[in-house]
Amino acid sequence: MKLANFLRLPVLLASVLAPIPISAEHTSNWAVLVSTSRFWFNYRHLANVLSLYRTVKRLGIPDSQIILMLPDDMACNPRNAFPGTVYSNADRAVDLYGDNIEVDYRGYEVTVENFIRLLTDRVGEEMPRSKRLLTDDRSNILVYMTGHGGNEFLKFQDAEEISAFDLADAFEQMWEKKRYHELLFMIDTCQANTMYSKFYSPNIIATGSSEIDQSSYSHHADNDVGVAVIDRYTYYNLDFLETQVREPSSKMTLGDLFDSYDESKIHSHPGVRWDLFPGDEQGGRERLVMDFFGNVQNVEVDNAGGNDTEWKEDLLHLGKKIAELRERAEAQDAAVKNNTVPESRGGSHPSRKIRAAKVEIDETWWGKKAVGALALGGCAIVWLAGTYQESA
Amino acid sequence: MSGLLATTSLLRRDPRLLKVPPYLSFLCIVIGVAWLLLLPLDDYSRGTYISENALLPGQVHTYFAGSDQNVFRGYKHEVDALGERSNVEVNDKLGELFKASGLKVARQKYEYKSAGETYEGENIYAILHAPRGDATEAIVLVGAWRNVDGVLNRSGVALVLTLARYFKRWSLWSKDIIFLVTADSRAGPQAWVDAYHDTHQSPAIESLSVKSGALQGAVVIDYPFDHRFESLHIVYDGINGQLPNLDLLNTVVAIASGQMGIGASLQQMWQHTDSYQDRLKTMLRGMLNQGLGHASGPHSSFIPYHVDAITLQPYGEGWQDEMAMGRVIESTFRSLNNLLEHLHQSFFFYLLMQANRFVSIGTYLPSAMLVACNFTIMAIFLWVKSGAPLPPKTTVGSTTQSDEKAPPLAVIQEGDAKAIVPEETLAVRERELFLPLAVVAGSQFLGVLPLYLFNHTSAPMFPAIFTLFTAFNTIAPPLLSHLLTTTFHPTAQQYSLIKSFSLLILGLFLSSLATLNFSLAFLVGLFSAPLTYMQPLPNRPIIAGILALLLTALAPTTVLFAGAQYWGLGIGEVLKEAAFGWDVWGMNTQVVVWCVWWPAWLTGMVSLWGRPREEVES
Repeated sequence: MKLANFLRLPVLLASVLAPIPISAEHTSNWAVLVSTSRFWFNYRHLANVLSLYRTVKRLGIPDSQIILMLPDDMACNPRNAFPGTVYSNADRAVDLYGDNIEVDYRGYEVTVENFIRLLTDRVGEEMPRSKRLLTDDRSNILVYMTGHGGNEFLKFQDAEEISAFDLADAFEQMWEKKRYHELLFMIDTCQANTMYSKFYSPNIIATGSSEIDQSSYSHHADNDVGVAVIDRYTYYNLDFLETQVREPSSKMTLGDLFDSYDESKIHSHPGVRWDLFPGDEQGGRERLVMDFFGNVQNVEVDNAGGNDTEWKEDLLHLGKKIAELRERAEAQDAAVKNNTVPESRGGSHPSRKIRAAKVEIDETWWGKKAVGALALGGCAIVWLAGTYQESA
Repeated sequence: MSGLLATTSLLRRDPRLLKVPPYLSFLCIVIGVAWLLLLPLDDYSRGTYISENALLPGQVHTYFAGSDQNVFRGYKHEVDALGERSNVEVNDKLGELFKASGLKVARQKYEYKSAGETYEGENIYAILHAPRGDATEAIVLVGAWRNVDGVLNRSGVALVLTLARYFKRWSLWSKDIIFLVTADSRAGPQAWVDAYHDTHQSPAIESLSVKSGALQGAVVIDYPFDHRFESLHIVYDGINGQLPNLDLLNTVVAIASGQMGIGASLQQMWQHTDSYQDRLKTMLRGMLNQGLGHASGPHSSFIPYHVDAITLQPYGEGWQDEMAMGRVIESTFRSLNNLLEHLHQSFFFYLLMQANRFVSIGTYLPSAMLVACNFTIMAIFLWVKSGAPLPPKTTVGSTTQSDEKAPPLAVIQEGDAKAIVPEETLAVRERELFLPLAVVAGSQFLGVLPLYLFNHTSAPMFPAIFTLFTAFNTIAPPLLSHLLTTTFHPTAQQYSLIKSFSLLILGLFLSSLATLNFSLAFLVGLFSAPLTYMQPLPNRPIIAGILALLLTALAPTTVLFAGAQYWGLGIGEVLKEAAFGWDVWGMNTQVVVWCVWWPAWLTGMVSLWGRPREEVES
């Protein structure tokens, strides 16, 4: 009996190794954190990004998997009363700049072109790995952007802007190139929700700070630094992440995060877009915050998405092994038959199953052909009738 | 095509249409004035707002307090002790004090000559280099040793010294800060700014030995008394009616009233109740200052160089002390320090009617433009009219004579339509242009005479010269008119052409001036408005006499005299100030008065006295 069970294995294996439908698992986490505005009075945008950088690092994403884009250097601005530091809170408890910070794109490198090239990986050979988004179809990506925006655009630096269409196309390209598994897009700017309105690629959850025709406001200013230090939406996101998601084992879900938004505190209407995500809102809400803000350590599936020929060879090898085993089993059965006649079902069981599968495929094939022919014939009749009526 | 031309010329001769322009031009004046009077209303003026994002006024804590007050007291004792010492002695001491604060010090001697008098002195300034900046930009803090009224600016200079010492302690400056103490409030700042931009007349004005980057803004402290004050008076008029960017004023107002709780007032409106009258008064005072185009404080000299500048004058008896004043300056400098580029976001052309209420150029400009337009409309009308044929002579008592010849007719064709009209309506009478052009050109050139006279005589002569010129001004028009009549026998057509050209030039000048110095264009336009309706009245000597009297009352000389009387100044003083403005500040109000307004007035007066020759049809 044990042997018979063992012989069912190829069927199970085949179902696992067949071209994968969407799997719930991801194997790596990446974060793209972008501030798009420069100049001293936009201090808060850089502080926003740096606070988020600190948070994802705290939750486990390593520097090598964080792309940080900072268009200006607030720490070294002569106007900074606290040289070498950036704070996102007037209590100045945490120096966000501190030590151990890796800025991947800085100053005038932060452009729309570089950003889109980064996402779609259309970069030259000379581009160092630290400036590339080396993701695959099992990577979850957090894309966070902040700056000055408007209806369906986000200003980059002082000269150019990225439109919602550009961004949607870039994500589509990423999807086609299998560069992400699931993507959380988060944006804090004026009229932020318009930025994700054009997305059309699957597996994206998007959230923004404010609706169309709504401004996104700063949270508070530090009167010694002399500027606003953080935006409201980002502040309350961080508030949740700091107080609720305290360790990487946290089971908080995105639903919890989005439910924590309080419009009376944020002073604008944050939005969430679920429809691109499989399972829509229900499926999206169950995703863990750690799926995007943290780093995955517990799941490692080595061969997933591996070499095509490799697993086929393995399967072939396995098939041979099975055939060999079957022969051996039949030989054993024959030996047993000599002794006891009634027990003869064991050997035929697995082989029948395989055959049945083949027949099933054949049947649908013929059916489909018939339906297609009918449809074509119908079209032809309609067309003929149309031309006849027209000529008459 | 010819048909079209003919129809337009028909339209042009339409007697109904020809009646319109004089009323239209009068309407322009009325609407222009009414427009201005509407501006202070809520619907037409706007509240001020900060346009430049970088400024962030009042977002910083100010720390100028505590022990700095003791430092201030010390410096004030020093300043008081220097009191009446000579300029050089004062600067020796000030230089010492600046050096003690760790600043680089330099001096500049200057000497101006105007109206036979010499204005000399020595400026001293110190530069605080931005510790982490790149020395490409600088902001200036000015305290004149003597303010505009010639009073010792004791608290002001002491405050500049204290702030220099205090600012030195901060490391957050992105621009250099220049502390400037000028010898006076009129010539000194001009000499320094000229030299800073290398446009000075050396050797009379020394070059600066030490300089910094491009000036981004200047704030002047005019604080000549010891006691506590109530509010801030902000002076913002520049030379020739140029104004600093509205953002600078808004920043100071926002900081003073929003952060420090100090009220701000403008144009010496010590009490402002936010009523229509007060707003109008503030606006008109502003317009008068702008129209005169003189320097209203040390800041005025900076503005022609596109350096936004204002003067802050504390006034009244209140509970604000010199430290509060210092904090306003500190916060203002922190805001200016935040600037990334020159102030440019907000308005440069505006009329203020309260510290937080203004109208921008788009709203007020039509008012002066309409007044200027009235001259142009009339000029075009007169040109058209001068080309019209003379009305046919009708002999008395022969109204319905059957033997009278019917006028020759002409046929006009346009497409299928035809019309028959009297031929004479299509004819254009030849215009005799030489005499009108010569008269207008002559009077324009005559304007150089008073311009030269009033800028190149010495001050003690001014009252005498002015009396002489007024006398000439009274006698000249009838005399010139008589000369014109007896020598050239101008026709009525020539008189109306003289007027047409004169008004055309006036309209042209005023409408272009309106974009540069709105107030001056408006005022001159208003004073010359009657010129639109002056024409020879040979048969009505009494009316002509009355009109001449009216016109004389509105002559530049009379207006000048009345203005001087109203403000209790001698005419000599006014002319001296004007000459000083011309020589030192580069003020060009005189050019407008003597070369635009006065010639137009003279031509108007001449044609009023004119006696056109009887015209006969050739």
